[in-house]
Amino acid sequence: MNPIRMRTVRAITVAIAAGSLALTGCSDSSKDSGKDDSKSKEDAKAQSKPVAYGDAQASTGPAEAVTGAKTGGTINVYQQSDLSHMDPGQIYVSDAGQFANLIHRGLTNFQEDDKGNLTVVGDVATDSGKSSEGGKTWTYTLKDDVKDEDGNVITSKDIRHTIERQYSKVIFDGPTYVQTWLSGSDYRKALPDGPYKGKHLPDSVLETPDDKTVVFHFKTAQPDLPQALAMAGYAIVPEKQDTKEKYDKAPASLGPYKIAEYKAGKSLKLVKNDQWDEKTDSVRHQYVDGYTFTNTIDQASQTKRLIADRGEAKNAIQFTDSVDPAQLSTVIGDADAKKRTIQGYQVYVWALSFNLDSAKMKDKKIRDAITYAIPNQSMVQADGGRYGGEVAGGLLAPTLPGFDPKYDPFGKLKKPNGDPAKAKALLKEAGFKEGTKLSYAYSNTPRGQAQMLIIKDALNKLGFNVQAKEIDRATFYEQVGKLKNPYDLYMTGWGQDWPSPSTVITPVYDGDLVADGAPNYSHIDDPKVNDLIKKAVTEEPEQAAKTWEEAHHAIVEDTNPSAPVYYSKQMQLYGSNIGGARFSTESSYIDINDLFLKQP
Amino acid sequence: MLQFLIRRLSGAVVIMFLIGAFTFFLFYTIPQDFAQLSCGKNCSPENIAVIRENLGLDKPITTQFWEFMMGIVSGRDFPQGHCAAPCLGVSFDSGQFVWDSIVDRFPLTLSLTIGGLVIFLLFGLGTGLMAAWKRGTALDKVVSGSSMVLSSFQIYFLGPIVLSLLVFNTGWLESPKYVPITDSPGQWFMGMLIPWAVMATIFTAQYTRMARSTMIEQLQEEHVRTARAKGMRQRYVFFRYAWRGSLIPIVTIIGMDLSALLSGAVVTEFTFDLAGIGRLAVEGSLSKDLPLTMGVMLFGAFFILILNIIVDLAYAYIDPRVRLA
Repeated sequence: MNPIRMRTVRAITVAIAAGSLALTGCSDSSKDSGKDDSKSKEDAKAQSKPVAYGDAQASTGPAEAVTGAKTGGTINVYQQSDLSHMDPGQIYVSDAGQFANLIHRGLTNFQEDDKGNLTVVGDVATDSGKSSEGGKTWTYTLKDDVKDEDGNVITSKDIRHTIERQYSKVIFDGPTYVQTWLSGSDYRKALPDGPYKGKHLPDSVLETPDDKTVVFHFKTAQPDLPQALAMAGYAIVPEKQDTKEKYDKAPASLGPYKIAEYKAGKSLKLVKNDQWDEKTDSVRHQYVDGYTFTNTIDQASQTKRLIADRGEAKNAIQFTDSVDPAQLSTVIGDADAKKRTIQGYQVYVWALSFNLDSAKMKDKKIRDAITYAIPNQSMVQADGGRYGGEVAGGLLAPTLPGFDPKYDPFGKLKKPNGDPAKAKALLKEAGFKEGTKLSYAYSNTPRGQAQMLIIKDALNKLGFNVQAKEIDRATFYEQVGKLKNPYDLYMTGWGQDWPSPSTVITPVYDGDLVADGAPNYSHIDDPKVNDLIKKAVTEEPEQAAKTWEEAHHAIVEDTNPSAPVYYSKQMQLYGSNIGGARFSTESSYIDINDLFLKQP
Repeated sequence: MLQFLIRRLSGAVVIMFLIGAFTFFLFYTIPQDFAQLSCGKNCSPENIAVIRENLGLDKPITTQFWEFMMGIVSGRDFPQGHCAAPCLGVSFDSGQFVWDSIVDRFPLTLSLTIGGLVIFLLFGLGTGLMAAWKRGTALDKVVSGSSMVLSSFQIYFLGPIVLSLLVFNTGWLESPKYVPITDSPGQWFMGMLIPWAVMATIFTAQYTRMARSTMIEQLQEEHVRTARAKGMRQRYVFFRYAWRGSLIPIVTIIGMDLSALLSGAVVTEFTFDLAGIGRLAVEGSLSKDLPLTMGVMLFGAFFILILNIIVDLAYAYIDPRVRLA
């Protein structure tokens, strides 16, 4: 177990609404009492701390040393597929986000102590940002001598370039928060070619008065900006290095490592970036000489190799994949393997979304009946059991501030396998017709198929006639994301972008964002919820937390557009020569910043 | 001979074009939006429109097909840069030039094929001939019996057993891994040893059975009996008469196996976590990546057609009765 890093204690400003449950805590299994599901909601609540906004002191490098860390050697990274993107502007998913921390740097970053407490600190900036005009204006000052891999000093022009290139068509897969806050939902129209034809955003929107200062001007208060800027999607792309579309395969590094060799779909080699200066970085370390990614090893093979712990597997980690569910019992039963695991909650909540545009799903009593009837525990079993998930009471993950472990309007904690009697009573009240056909769409993955059988069985017992519709895994979200999809219900998952309910409730349950391809899969458009969202996003953090909670309760209890099913959990394995391994609250994976080799 | 080659090669070009057209238009019968498939978490209509434009999906299907086929001949320009001929487009999923991906993956596929081929031909044909030579003996029975059992095995069954035994449980060998032969011949050999051995075990059994049965069949032919009756030495009759006659079906099967392996040994690659052409084909298919799928299909078709021509030429060499028009 690593010591508490005192730097985080020095954090000054606390943003309560941006608070996070440090639910996972440390992961050194040598201190595990044997209580495998110790990451219970009670534990999570006890560990709950709000995200802090760090000052200049907290943002100054070097990062707190990891006890016993040695330098040298190469860590082998096992992945079953290639990274989706390497251009930071395009990065919006977890595998690439985890990778980004090794080579990219942003204005801000999350710093995490060994209890999982998070602090937003300045990364390239001197602190997490200074707000004025009630949060409408944010000013960042850049640290001295932060350089890219070719030794070019990062200036405010590079920050402006990073933001402005997100307006161009070169970028289409990354987050859109900051652009939307700056220029509205039609932000691309404000700078259609990005910065590539010499045009820039006006100073009234994005200002760079000198080489060291960047000022963001928003129309409304944006208290979450420091957290949004910590997303990999807003990591810096130096103007001189930008090769537009080609950048996605050969980005320039600002972080402790740089790309030495990349073979799409196969492998990636990272080596030390000699231009990275630990004095400018309060989060990352550069203990190992490099990382070798092999992106063709499936989950089952990763698990087998790491259980065996022979040869190069001793220096290997699972990066974003988890232990193969079929081998979980082997891992748990093998004392040597078990002490080389880390585990914790992921940011995802799985829910059974009701298509509110379907005539059969219009009646809330029908939706409630289905919600009561779902055997949540069986659904968890189909996804790895207690190490793969935990029965959900609500739609906000335990990784979010405002999470209430006792919130359970459908009584799932007491009856994790459902309450068919209550469901039948509700159906009777709704005037339900026996044999009503329901179209259930599922992804043709092993998990999707197993869960389909559970849902079908549970609902058929209520008198429904469930028609299971298999959808190819590659097109599942495309198909259920269509507004005029032909299905009545489907399992969907969503995770936060940073520890704030705004990144869950807004995209998934805001009626103003119902559109083809949008993640509002139930098509909920409830005036009360919409108003609460509008209110929360402009409120001061403490008040916003209450409003988000109210919105969450309104969604689950008043409308019930998606039945909460389970919170996702993760267990990963690593080799016996890996030091500093711990579960990161921020990434929901192994903390990539602290790793070293015990015997380099 | 020249006329034969020109005719077959012209035919191969037409077949390649037809395969390309068939694959391309078949893809568009799938009711889905490729732009939306390439769209990540933030899939707004505006982003989908940008992707559609970037991928060239906003153009008519016939234009897309024409541009794809012309790219093979003369190259194409993409936002990622110039894609030199034979350009097979840009992968929707990875953004890489498809030809570059194929060139990158091919050395592994070639290594797997050549190494496996050498082993299973040497052992398969050798044991098959021995069994035929010693027909009815205990050796024949052992060879026939074991080849029967081994040929019913599958790579996905045998592979994990061998891995458990030699890698995970004993640590005698490292997990299979491809290291270019130019980087380290020793590591290349050791990295490919288990895949070769497992693949060759199954193929060897099949070739043993085939070599044995065709040799026995040939040994009963009239011209072989005539040779024996003339008092020729047994060894001479066996190799000069019977072996040559049995080569035609064997060469046919070798041609088919070789083209299949060069198009990608899918099961072998997935069993041993290797990244060759086979994995590329599966990735393209699973992610509905049209240019990647097209590229791999055409690449595989190229080998099938070329090897068919080579096999036809080999027939003429082996059996003078075969006349090339």
